[in-house]
Amino acid sequence: MFPTSQQTIGPFFPAEFFGPADHDLTRVSAEAAPTRRGEAILLRGRVTRQGGLPCVNAVLELWQADAAGRFAGDADADPDFLFWGRARTDGDGRYAFRTVLPGRFADQLGPRASHANVTLLGSGLMRRVLTTLFFPRAAEELAADPVLALVPSGRRPLLLADPAGEEDGLRVFRFDIRLRGTDETPFFAV
Amino acid sequence: MTALPEGIEPEVPVPGYPNTWTHTPAQPLLPRPAGRTEMAGPVRLHRKLVPGAVNLAEATPGRPAIGQLMQIGGRILDEAGRPVAGAVVELWQANAAGRYAHANDGSAAPLDPNFTGHGRALTDEDGRYAFTTIKPGAYAVPVQETWWRPPHLHFSVHGPSCLSRLVTQMYFPGEPLNALDRILNAIPDGAARSRMIARFLPPPSVGDFFLGFTHDIVLRGRHATPEA
Repeated sequence: MFPTSQQTIGPFFPAEFFGPADHDLTRVSAEAAPTRRGEAILLRGRVTRQGGLPCVNAVLELWQADAAGRFAGDADADPDFLFWGRARTDGDGRYAFRTVLPGRFADQLGPRASHANVTLLGSGLMRRVLTTLFFPRAAEELAADPVLALVPSGRRPLLLADPAGEEDGLRVFRFDIRLRGTDETPFFAV
Repeated sequence: MTALPEGIEPEVPVPGYPNTWTHTPAQPLLPRPAGRTEMAGPVRLHRKLVPGAVNLAEATPGRPAIGQLMQIGGRILDEAGRPVAGAVVELWQANAAGRYAHANDGSAAPLDPNFTGHGRALTDEDGRYAFTTIKPGAYAVPVQETWWRPPHLHFSVHGPSCLSRLVTQMYFPGEPLNALDRILNAIPDGAARSRMIARFLPPPSVGDFFLGFTHDIVLRGRHATPEA
């Protein structure tokens, strides 16, 4: 069977669909205690479109490995980590997630550096877009990553999350997404 | 991952929809093979996205929404036609006057205090979902050269992996505005467009009180699970 076609999420995705802990990957439900494995971090950034204007009410979905580089369904995966979270941008295009620093792992593609994936949906985006951000690591680890290697070298820095201080005792990383225009974020097709 | 046949995904930019010019990446997408991270997804996502009301037409008993009552249901399937059990299905829509209960909707059409216009369901073992709602109204898109959106439902579906994540819209059979809708017609392939139009169910199968429609949604991804 052919998959159903994508359509834009439009400007009216209900605010009621966002729960208080949806942006928090470290909890499997709003009531659950956060996982105790790994280093909890905050990921913050801004989503902009052509001309650097903010994308308002855009939806971001983040998914990644747990602190040990495992995924949901693995026998030894962290049972207190959800592996997925959702956030939306405010009037200035800003978003925030709480998660753990993902572990490295190896799969059939090769040794994967510490990374998280983002799908972005928004008004005007007829298809969702996918990108992957990389946390600061040794140059050799990043250089060996087979997905980062697919990106033209001049655009690779656009996929690096930058350390941005601390907040409530957690390290903060910043990752901005530029949908179109100057320093446009590299997006992938899977 | 097998490449999709041409014409299934929308073409951008869409004429008359200026946001598609400013929000769509100008650089080509970088093709990328599917490894573990691409095939990963949450398990039991309904712990976080908690299923809620599936009767949008009478969220408060005794206070029905205005409009034509309808039932909409169907199955969430994978590309092999197998049911996707435990999928989170989110539905949102305009009210009978074509107005969304959303702060971003600046339309002058009236709100219906008894219609919030959104619901969330979890598919059963057969991949089935079902909602009771009202048929949404059409509305004009507030751009310089106005065009009308036909009545439609928005669906957001979370399947087994993040690759199978789908956000789409569903249309109604026999609506003259379908042929003029810029968003539906951004899908080049006619067969793909017709798969986005729900099927009308004859009254005996739904009873006298509801319009009945059925609509199956097919997700990408599961068949592409890499060999261990």
